[in-house]
Amino acid sequence: MINMLVKKELALYFRNLNNIFLPLVFFFLIISIFPLVLGPEKNLFDKIIPGIIWITAILTTILTSNNFFKDDFNNGIIEIYLTSDMSVELVLFLKIISCWFFTCFPILIFIPLVSLLFSIPFQNSMVILLTLFIGTPVLISIGIFGSALTLGLAKNNILTPVIIIPFYIPVLIFSASAIEAVSTGLPFEMQIYILAALLILVLPIMPYLLKYTLGLSINN
Amino acid sequence: MNISKIANLKFFYTNTRKISYYMSFFVMILFIIGIYWGLFIAPEDYLQGDSYRIMYMHVPAAWLSLQTYMVMAITGFIALVWKIKIMEIISIQCAPIGALFTIIALVTGMVWGKPTWGTYWVWDARLTSELILLFLYIGVMVLYASINDKRQAVKITSLLAIIGLINIPIIHYSVEWWNTLHQGPTVTKFDKPSAHTTMLYPLLYMFIVFNIYFITVIIKRVRLGIYAREKNSKWMEEYTDD
Repeated sequence: MINMLVKKELALYFRNLNNIFLPLVFFFLIISIFPLVLGPEKNLFDKIIPGIIWITAILTTILTSNNFFKDDFNNGIIEIYLTSDMSVELVLFLKIISCWFFTCFPILIFIPLVSLLFSIPFQNSMVILLTLFIGTPVLISIGIFGSALTLGLAKNNILTPVIIIPFYIPVLIFSASAIEAVSTGLPFEMQIYILAALLILVLPIMPYLLKYTLGLSINN
Repeated sequence: MNISKIANLKFFYTNTRKISYYMSFFVMILFIIGIYWGLFIAPEDYLQGDSYRIMYMHVPAAWLSLQTYMVMAITGFIALVWKIKIMEIISIQCAPIGALFTIIALVTGMVWGKPTWGTYWVWDARLTSELILLFLYIGVMVLYASINDKRQAVKITSLLAIIGLINIPIIHYSVEWWNTLHQGPTVTKFDKPSAHTTMLYPLLYMFIVFNIYFITVIIKRVRLGIYAREKNSKWMEEYTDD
Protein backbone atom coordinates (compact mmCIF):
# COMPACT_ATOMS: atom_id res chain seq x y z
CA MET A 1 0.00 0.00 0.00
CA ILE A 2 2.74 2.40 1.00
CA ASN A 3 4.69 1.38 -2.09
CA MET A 4 1.78 2.34 -4.27
CA LEU A 5 1.44 5.68 -2.54
CA VAL A 6 5.12 6.44 -3.03
CA LYS A 7 4.82 5.48 -6.69
CA LYS A 8 1.78 7.73 -7.02
CA GLU A 9 3.61 10.68 -5.50
CA LEU A 10 6.64 10.12 -7.71
CA ALA A 11 4.43 9.78 -10.77
CA LEU A 12 2.62 12.99 -9.93
CA TYR A 13 5.88 14.90 -9.70
CA PHE A 14 7.49 13.34 -12.76
CA ARG A 15 4.44 13.48 -14.98
CA ASN A 16 4.34 17.22 -14.61
CA LEU A 17 7.96 18.29 -14.65
CA ASN A 18 6.85 21.88 -14.09
CA ASN A 19 6.51 20.92 -10.44
CA ILE A 20 10.26 20.42 -10.28
CA PHE A 21 11.46 23.09 -12.69
CA LEU A 22 9.26 26.00 -11.73
CA PRO A 23 10.56 26.37 -8.15
CA LEU A 24 14.10 26.24 -9.48
CA VAL A 25 13.43 28.84 -12.16
CA PHE A 26 11.62 30.98 -9.63
CA PHE A 27 14.59 30.75 -7.28
CA PHE A 28 17.02 31.90 -9.96
CA LEU A 29 14.68 34.62 -11.15
CA ILE A 30 14.37 36.19 -7.70
CA ILE A 31 18.10 35.84 -7.02
CA SER A 32 18.95 37.61 -10.27
CA ILE A 33 16.53 40.44 -9.61
CA PHE A 34 18.51 41.60 -6.56
CA PRO A 35 21.57 42.85 -8.50
CA LEU A 36 19.26 44.78 -10.79
CA VAL A 37 17.67 46.55 -7.85
CA LEU A 38 20.70 47.04 -5.64
CA GLY A 39 23.39 47.66 -8.23
CA PRO A 40 26.20 45.25 -9.07
CA GLU A 41 28.80 46.29 -6.44
CA LYS A 42 30.73 43.29 -5.22
CA ASN A 43 31.36 44.49 -1.66
CA LEU A 44 27.67 44.92 -1.03
CA PHE A 45 26.84 41.44 -2.27
CA ASP A 46 29.56 39.79 -0.23
CA LYS A 47 27.69 41.05 2.79
CA ILE A 48 24.07 40.41 1.86
CA ILE A 49 24.09 37.38 -0.45
CA PRO A 50 23.36 34.85 2.36
CA GLY A 51 20.30 36.87 3.31
CA ILE A 52 19.21 37.06 -0.31
CA ILE A 53 19.56 33.31 -0.76
CA TRP A 54 17.56 32.65 2.40
CA ILE A 55 14.78 35.11 1.57
CA THR A 56 14.50 33.54 -1.86
CA ALA A 57 14.39 30.07 -0.33
CA ILE A 58 11.57 31.24 1.94
CA LEU A 59 9.57 32.62 -0.97
CA THR A 60 10.06 29.39 -2.89
CA THR A 61 9.00 27.14 -0.02
CA ILE A 62 5.97 29.32 0.67
CA LEU A 63 4.82 29.14 -2.91
CA THR A 64 5.39 25.40 -3.22
CA SER A 65 3.76 24.44 0.06
CA ASN A 66 0.93 26.96 -0.12
CA ASN A 67 -1.69 24.80 -1.81
CA PHE A 68 -0.11 21.52 -0.82
CA PHE A 69 -3.31 19.67 0.12
CA LYS A 70 -5.60 21.44 -2.35
CA ASP A 71 -5.70 18.71 -5.02
CA ASP A 72 -5.98 15.88 -2.52
CA PHE A 73 -8.74 17.78 -0.74
CA ASN A 74 -10.70 18.40 -3.92
CA ASN A 75 -10.28 14.75 -4.97
CA GLY A 76 -11.48 13.59 -1.61
CA ILE A 77 -8.33 11.54 -1.10
CA ILE A 78 -7.63 13.12 2.28
CA GLU A 79 -10.89 11.80 3.70
CA ILE A 80 -9.94 8.35 2.45
CA TYR A 81 -6.54 8.64 4.09
CA LEU A 82 -8.07 9.71 7.37
CA THR A 83 -10.73 7.02 7.43
CA SER A 84 -8.57 4.16 6.18
CA ASP A 85 -6.75 1.81 8.53
CA MET A 86 -3.26 2.53 7.25
CA SER A 87 -0.84 4.84 8.99
CA VAL A 88 -1.81 8.35 7.95
CA GLU A 89 1.25 9.72 9.73
CA LEU A 90 3.54 7.70 7.50
CA VAL A 91 1.73 8.91 4.39
CA LEU A 92 1.99 12.52 5.51
CA PHE A 93 5.65 12.07 6.37
CA LEU A 94 6.34 10.68 2.91
CA LYS A 95 4.43 13.56 1.36
CA ILE A 96 6.55 16.09 3.28
CA ILE A 97 9.75 14.36 2.27
CA SER A 98 8.75 14.09 -1.37
CA CYS A 99 7.67 17.75 -1.46
CA TRP A 100 11.05 18.73 -0.03
CA PHE A 101 12.93 16.43 -2.38
CA PHE A 102 11.32 17.71 -5.52
CA THR A 103 11.16 21.39 -4.75
CA CYS A 104 14.12 22.18 -2.47
CA PHE A 105 16.67 19.57 -3.39
CA PRO A 106 17.07 20.90 -6.98
CA ILE A 107 17.79 24.31 -5.48
CA LEU A 108 20.46 22.80 -3.23
CA ILE A 109 22.11 21.23 -6.27
CA PHE A 110 22.32 24.62 -7.94
CA ILE A 111 23.74 26.50 -4.94
CA PRO A 112 27.32 26.05 -6.23
CA LEU A 113 26.24 27.79 -9.43
CA VAL A 114 24.79 30.67 -7.40
CA SER A 115 28.09 30.80 -5.52
CA LEU A 116 29.89 31.19 -8.84
CA LEU A 117 27.58 33.99 -9.94
CA PHE A 118 28.20 35.95 -6.76
CA SER A 119 31.79 34.72 -6.27
CA ILE A 120 31.17 33.29 -2.82
CA PRO A 121 34.23 31.47 -1.36
CA PHE A 122 34.02 27.68 -1.35
CA GLN A 123 33.79 27.24 2.42
CA ASN A 124 31.04 29.84 2.75
CA SER A 125 29.01 28.28 -0.02
CA MET A 126 29.33 24.88 1.68
CA VAL A 127 27.94 26.38 4.88
CA ILE A 128 25.10 28.02 2.95
CA LEU A 129 24.39 24.62 1.42
CA LEU A 130 24.46 22.97 4.84
CA THR A 131 22.07 25.48 6.42
CA LEU A 132 19.70 25.15 3.46
CA PHE A 133 19.91 21.36 3.66
CA ILE A 134 18.95 21.37 7.33
CA GLY A 135 16.66 24.39 7.26
CA THR A 136 14.45 23.88 4.21
CA PRO A 137 12.76 20.68 5.50
CA VAL A 138 11.69 22.70 8.56
CA LEU A 139 10.38 25.49 6.36
CA ILE A 140 8.53 23.04 4.10
CA SER A 141 6.98 21.28 7.12
CA ILE A 142 5.79 24.55 8.64
CA GLY A 143 4.45 25.69 5.27
CA ILE A 144 2.54 22.44 4.86
CA PHE A 145 1.11 22.92 8.35
CA GLY A 146 -0.08 26.36 7.27
CA SER A 147 -1.70 24.95 4.17
CA ALA A 148 -3.46 22.34 6.34
CA LEU A 149 -4.77 25.10 8.62
CA THR A 150 -6.27 27.02 5.69
CA LEU A 151 -7.48 23.95 3.82
CA GLY A 152 -11.20 24.66 3.89
CA LEU A 153 -10.88 28.18 2.52
CA ALA A 154 -11.61 29.11 -1.04
CA LYS A 155 -8.95 31.82 -1.39
CA ASN A 156 -5.90 31.60 0.82
CA ASN A 157 -3.08 32.81 -1.40
CA ILE A 158 -1.70 35.43 0.94
CA LEU A 159 -3.31 34.29 4.19
CA THR A 160 -1.10 31.24 4.68
CA PRO A 161 2.22 33.13 4.37
CA VAL A 162 0.99 35.81 6.78
CA ILE A 163 0.21 33.15 9.34
CA ILE A 164 3.33 31.05 9.04
CA ILE A 165 6.19 33.47 8.36
CA PRO A 166 6.59 34.31 12.10
CA PHE A 167 7.25 30.61 12.66
CA TYR A 168 10.11 30.73 10.17
CA ILE A 169 12.11 33.22 12.21
CA PRO A 170 14.23 30.87 14.41
CA VAL A 171 15.44 28.92 11.37
CA LEU A 172 16.26 32.15 9.58
CA ILE A 173 18.16 33.67 12.47
CA PHE A 174 20.38 30.67 13.06
CA SER A 175 21.02 30.06 9.36
CA ALA A 176 21.94 33.66 8.70
CA SER A 177 24.16 33.78 11.75
CA ALA A 178 25.96 30.55 10.80
CA ILE A 179 26.72 32.00 7.38
CA GLU A 180 27.80 35.29 8.89
CA ALA A 181 30.03 33.47 11.37
CA VAL A 182 31.82 31.49 8.67
CA SER A 183 32.32 34.55 6.49
CA THR A 184 33.99 36.38 9.38
CA GLY A 185 36.08 33.36 10.30
CA LEU A 186 34.27 32.49 13.52
CA PRO A 187 33.14 28.99 14.52
CA PHE A 188 29.69 28.21 13.13
CA GLU A 189 29.08 24.70 14.51
CA MET A 190 26.78 25.85 17.32
CA GLN A 191 24.25 27.43 14.94
CA ILE A 192 24.29 24.30 12.79
CA TYR A 193 23.59 22.15 15.85
CA ILE A 194 20.67 24.35 16.84
CA LEU A 195 19.29 24.14 13.30
CA ALA A 196 19.62 20.38 13.43
CA ALA A 197 17.82 20.39 16.79
CA LEU A 198 14.97 22.38 15.25
CA LEU A 199 14.79 19.86 12.41
CA ILE A 200 14.72 16.95 14.85
CA LEU A 201 12.04 18.72 16.85
CA VAL A 202 9.79 19.60 13.92
CA LEU A 203 10.03 16.69 11.53
CA PRO A 204 8.83 13.81 13.75
CA ILE A 205 6.03 15.84 15.35
CA MET A 206 4.74 17.29 12.11
CA PRO A 207 2.93 14.20 10.70
CA TYR A 208 0.91 13.82 13.91
CA LEU A 209 0.16 17.52 14.01
CA LEU A 210 -0.82 17.47 10.34
CA LYS A 211 -3.17 14.54 10.86
CA TYR A 212 -4.89 16.37 13.72
CA THR A 213 -5.07 19.62 11.75
CA LEU A 214 -6.49 17.90 8.67
CA GLY A 215 -9.08 16.25 10.88
CA LEU A 216 -10.09 19.64 12.25
CA SER A 217 -10.09 21.36 8.86
CA ILE A 218 -12.14 18.71 7.09
CA ASN A 219 -14.59 18.13 9.89
CA ASN A 220 -16.85 21.08 9.12
CA MET B 1 -20.81 27.17 42.75
CA ASN B 2 -20.76 24.69 39.95
CA ILE B 3 -18.19 25.39 37.27
CA SER B 4 -20.39 24.05 34.50
CA LYS B 5 -23.04 26.55 35.48
CA ILE B 6 -20.69 29.49 34.98
CA ALA B 7 -19.54 28.01 31.70
CA ASN B 8 -23.12 27.92 30.53
CA LEU B 9 -23.50 30.65 27.91
CA LYS B 10 -26.94 31.74 29.01
CA PHE B 11 -25.93 31.92 32.67
CA PHE B 12 -22.83 33.93 31.82
CA TYR B 13 -24.65 36.32 29.53
CA THR B 14 -27.55 37.06 31.83
CA ASN B 15 -25.43 37.47 34.97
CA THR B 16 -22.50 39.59 33.83
CA ARG B 17 -24.37 42.60 32.47
CA LYS B 18 -24.25 44.63 35.68
CA ILE B 19 -20.80 43.40 36.68
CA SER B 20 -19.23 44.49 33.40
CA TYR B 21 -21.07 47.81 33.59
CA TYR B 22 -19.73 48.67 37.04
CA MET B 23 -16.29 47.23 36.46
CA SER B 24 -15.59 49.63 33.61
CA PHE B 25 -16.07 52.62 35.96
CA PHE B 26 -14.04 50.89 38.64
CA VAL B 27 -11.15 50.31 36.22
CA MET B 28 -11.27 53.91 35.03
CA ILE B 29 -10.88 55.17 38.61
CA LEU B 30 -8.05 52.73 39.26
CA PHE B 31 -6.32 53.92 36.09
CA ILE B 32 -6.57 57.57 37.11
CA ILE B 33 -5.10 56.76 40.53
CA GLY B 34 -2.28 54.75 38.96
CA ILE B 35 -1.42 57.41 36.41
CA TYR B 36 -1.40 60.10 39.11
CA TRP B 37 0.82 57.90 41.26
CA GLY B 38 3.20 57.17 38.42
CA LEU B 39 3.35 60.65 36.91
CA PHE B 40 3.36 62.87 40.01
CA ILE B 41 4.15 60.95 43.20
CA ALA B 42 6.85 58.53 42.05
CA PRO B 43 10.33 60.10 42.26
CA GLU B 44 12.30 61.26 39.25
CA ASP B 45 14.88 58.92 37.85
CA TYR B 46 18.38 60.29 38.31
CA LEU B 47 19.52 58.98 34.92
CA GLN B 48 16.53 59.21 32.62
CA GLY B 49 14.69 62.11 34.25
CA ASP B 50 10.95 62.16 33.75
CA SER B 51 10.98 60.17 30.54
CA TYR B 52 11.12 56.89 32.42
CA ARG B 53 7.56 57.48 33.66
CA ILE B 54 6.15 56.04 30.44
CA MET B 55 7.20 52.66 31.78
CA TYR B 56 4.05 52.71 33.95
CA MET B 57 2.13 52.13 30.72
CA HIS B 58 4.80 50.36 28.74
CA VAL B 59 5.90 47.57 31.06
CA PRO B 60 2.41 46.36 32.17
CA ALA B 61 1.26 46.44 28.53
CA ALA B 62 4.26 44.35 27.49
CA TRP B 63 3.64 41.84 30.29
CA LEU B 64 -0.05 41.66 29.48
CA SER B 65 0.65 41.16 25.79
CA LEU B 66 2.44 37.91 26.62
CA GLN B 67 0.00 36.91 29.33
CA THR B 68 -2.95 37.40 26.98
CA TYR B 69 -1.34 35.10 24.46
CA MET B 70 -0.95 32.49 27.19
CA VAL B 71 -4.61 32.88 28.17
CA MET B 72 -5.61 32.58 24.52
CA ALA B 73 -3.58 29.41 24.02
CA ILE B 74 -4.61 27.76 27.32
CA THR B 75 -8.32 28.47 26.87
CA GLY B 76 -7.95 27.32 23.27
CA PHE B 77 -6.44 24.09 24.52
CA ILE B 78 -9.33 23.60 26.95
CA ALA B 79 -11.78 24.34 24.16
CA LEU B 80 -10.15 21.81 21.86
CA VAL B 81 -9.89 19.03 24.43
CA TRP B 82 -13.04 19.42 26.53
CA LYS B 83 -15.19 21.27 23.96
CA ILE B 84 -16.37 23.93 26.40
CA LYS B 85 -18.19 26.58 24.40
CA ILE B 86 -17.32 29.56 26.57
CA MET B 87 -13.63 28.72 26.37
CA GLU B 88 -13.83 28.91 22.58
CA ILE B 89 -15.29 32.39 22.84
CA ILE B 90 -12.75 33.53 25.46
CA SER B 91 -9.88 32.19 23.38
CA ILE B 92 -10.73 34.07 20.21
CA GLN B 93 -11.75 37.24 22.01
CA CYS B 94 -8.30 37.41 23.60
CA ALA B 95 -6.67 38.05 20.22
CA PRO B 96 -7.76 41.67 19.62
CA ILE B 97 -7.07 42.61 23.25
CA GLY B 98 -3.62 41.07 23.10
CA ALA B 99 -2.93 42.87 19.83
CA LEU B 100 -3.98 46.11 21.52
CA PHE B 101 -1.59 45.52 24.44
CA THR B 102 1.19 44.73 21.97
CA ILE B 103 0.55 47.94 20.05
CA ILE B 104 0.51 49.96 23.29
CA ALA B 105 3.80 48.38 24.34
CA LEU B 106 5.38 49.07 20.95
CA VAL B 107 4.18 52.67 20.69
CA THR B 108 5.12 53.63 24.25
CA GLY B 109 8.46 51.89 23.74
CA MET B 110 9.07 54.01 20.65
CA VAL B 111 8.10 57.19 22.48
CA TRP B 112 10.49 56.26 25.30
CA GLY B 113 13.22 55.34 22.85
CA LYS B 114 13.40 58.77 21.19
CA PRO B 115 14.80 60.70 24.21
CA THR B 116 16.72 57.71 25.61
CA TRP B 117 18.30 56.10 22.56
CA GLY B 118 17.92 59.07 20.22
CA THR B 119 15.83 57.06 17.77
CA TYR B 120 12.31 55.76 17.68
CA TRP B 121 13.14 52.26 16.66
CA VAL B 122 16.09 49.97 17.24
CA TRP B 123 16.18 46.45 15.91
CA ASP B 124 16.93 44.97 19.28
CA ALA B 125 15.79 41.71 20.71
CA ARG B 126 12.79 42.71 22.78
CA LEU B 127 11.33 45.19 20.32
CA THR B 128 11.67 42.69 17.52
CA SER B 129 10.10 39.80 19.40
CA GLU B 130 7.26 42.10 20.51
CA LEU B 131 6.71 42.99 16.86
CA ILE B 132 6.66 39.31 15.95
CA LEU B 133 4.13 38.75 18.73
CA LEU B 134 1.94 41.37 17.05
CA PHE B 135 2.19 39.42 13.80
CA LEU B 136 1.22 36.22 15.62
CA TYR B 137 -1.90 37.95 16.98
CA ILE B 138 -2.71 39.31 13.53
CA GLY B 139 -2.31 35.80 12.09
CA VAL B 140 -4.86 34.43 14.55
CA MET B 141 -7.26 37.28 13.82
CA VAL B 142 -7.08 37.05 10.02
CA LEU B 143 -7.44 33.28 10.14
CA TYR B 144 -10.53 33.62 12.32
CA ALA B 145 -11.98 36.29 10.06
CA SER B 146 -11.50 34.28 6.89
CA ILE B 147 -13.30 31.11 7.99
CA ASN B 148 -17.05 31.42 7.65
CA ASP B 149 -18.11 28.73 10.11
CA LYS B 150 -17.10 30.39 13.38
CA ARG B 151 -17.10 27.26 15.55
CA GLN B 152 -14.77 25.64 13.05
CA ALA B 153 -12.70 28.83 12.93
CA VAL B 154 -12.19 28.83 16.69
CA LYS B 155 -10.92 25.26 16.65
CA ILE B 156 -8.33 26.10 14.02
CA THR B 157 -7.22 29.36 15.63
CA SER B 158 -6.92 27.58 18.98
CA LEU B 159 -4.57 25.10 17.38
CA LEU B 160 -2.57 27.95 15.85
CA ALA B 161 -2.42 29.70 19.23
CA ILE B 162 -1.16 26.54 20.96
CA ILE B 163 1.56 26.03 18.36
CA GLY B 164 2.40 29.71 18.69
CA LEU B 165 2.71 29.35 22.47
CA ILE B 166 5.24 26.57 21.98
CA ASN B 167 7.01 28.72 19.43
CA ILE B 168 7.12 31.99 21.37
CA PRO B 169 10.01 30.96 23.67
CA ILE B 170 11.94 29.64 20.69
CA ILE B 171 11.37 32.88 18.79
CA HIS B 172 12.13 34.95 21.86
CA TYR B 173 15.41 33.26 22.69
CA SER B 174 16.57 33.11 19.10
CA VAL B 175 15.84 36.80 18.68
CA GLU B 176 17.50 37.57 22.01
CA TRP B 177 20.51 35.57 20.99
CA TRP B 178 20.51 37.36 17.66
CA ASN B 179 20.89 40.79 19.17
CA THR B 180 20.89 42.25 22.63
CA LEU B 181 21.01 45.99 22.99
CA HIS B 182 18.16 46.55 25.39
CA GLN B 183 18.79 47.45 29.02
CA GLY B 184 18.56 44.36 31.19
CA PRO B 185 15.37 43.47 33.01
CA THR B 186 15.12 45.70 36.05
CA VAL B 187 12.08 44.27 37.82
CA THR B 188 12.63 40.56 38.01
CA LYS B 189 15.85 40.88 39.98
CA PHE B 190 14.26 40.78 43.40
CA ASP B 191 17.39 39.85 45.32
CA LYS B 192 19.04 43.15 44.45
CA PRO B 193 16.37 45.42 43.01
CA SER B 194 17.75 48.02 40.66
CA ALA B 195 14.52 50.01 40.80
CA HIS B 196 13.66 51.68 44.09
CA THR B 197 10.49 50.51 45.80
CA THR B 198 8.89 53.95 45.49
CA MET B 199 9.17 53.47 41.74
CA LEU B 200 8.38 49.79 41.83
CA TYR B 201 5.09 49.90 43.76
CA PRO B 202 3.26 52.06 41.20
CA LEU B 203 4.49 49.68 38.52
CA LEU B 204 3.12 46.62 40.30
CA TYR B 205 -0.09 48.55 40.97
CA MET B 206 -0.40 49.36 37.26
CA PHE B 207 0.21 45.70 36.45
CA ILE B 208 -2.73 44.73 38.66
CA VAL B 209 -4.88 47.49 37.12
CA PHE B 210 -4.02 46.24 33.63
CA ASN B 211 -5.08 42.77 34.71
CA ILE B 212 -8.40 44.08 36.00
CA TYR B 213 -8.80 45.99 32.75
CA PHE B 214 -8.13 42.77 30.84
CA ILE B 215 -10.79 40.93 32.84
CA THR B 216 -13.29 43.74 32.31
CA VAL B 217 -12.74 43.88 28.57
CA ILE B 218 -12.74 40.13 28.17
CA ILE B 219 -16.11 39.92 29.95
CA LYS B 220 -17.51 42.59 27.64
CA ARG B 221 -16.10 40.93 24.55
CA VAL B 222 -17.26 37.47 25.59
CA ARG B 223 -20.74 38.89 26.05
CA LEU B 224 -20.58 40.20 22.48
CA GLY B 225 -19.28 36.84 21.29
CA ILE B 226 -22.09 35.02 23.04
CA TYR B 227 -24.59 37.41 21.50
CA ALA B 228 -23.16 36.87 18.02
CA ARG B 229 -23.35 33.12 18.42
CA GLU B 230 -26.69 32.82 20.19
CA LYS B 231 -28.65 35.72 18.73
CA ASN B 232 -31.14 33.40 17.07
CA SER B 233 -31.67 31.17 20.07
CA LYS B 234 -34.86 31.34 22.06
CA TRP B 235 -33.45 32.45 25.39
CA MET B 236 -31.55 35.32 23.79
CA GLU B 237 -34.68 36.63 22.10
CA GLU B 238 -36.58 36.39 25.36
CA TYR B 239 -33.78 38.07 27.27
CA THR B 240 -33.32 40.97 24.86
CA ASP B 241 -37.09 41.54 24.70
CA ASP B 242 -37.17 42.39 28.38
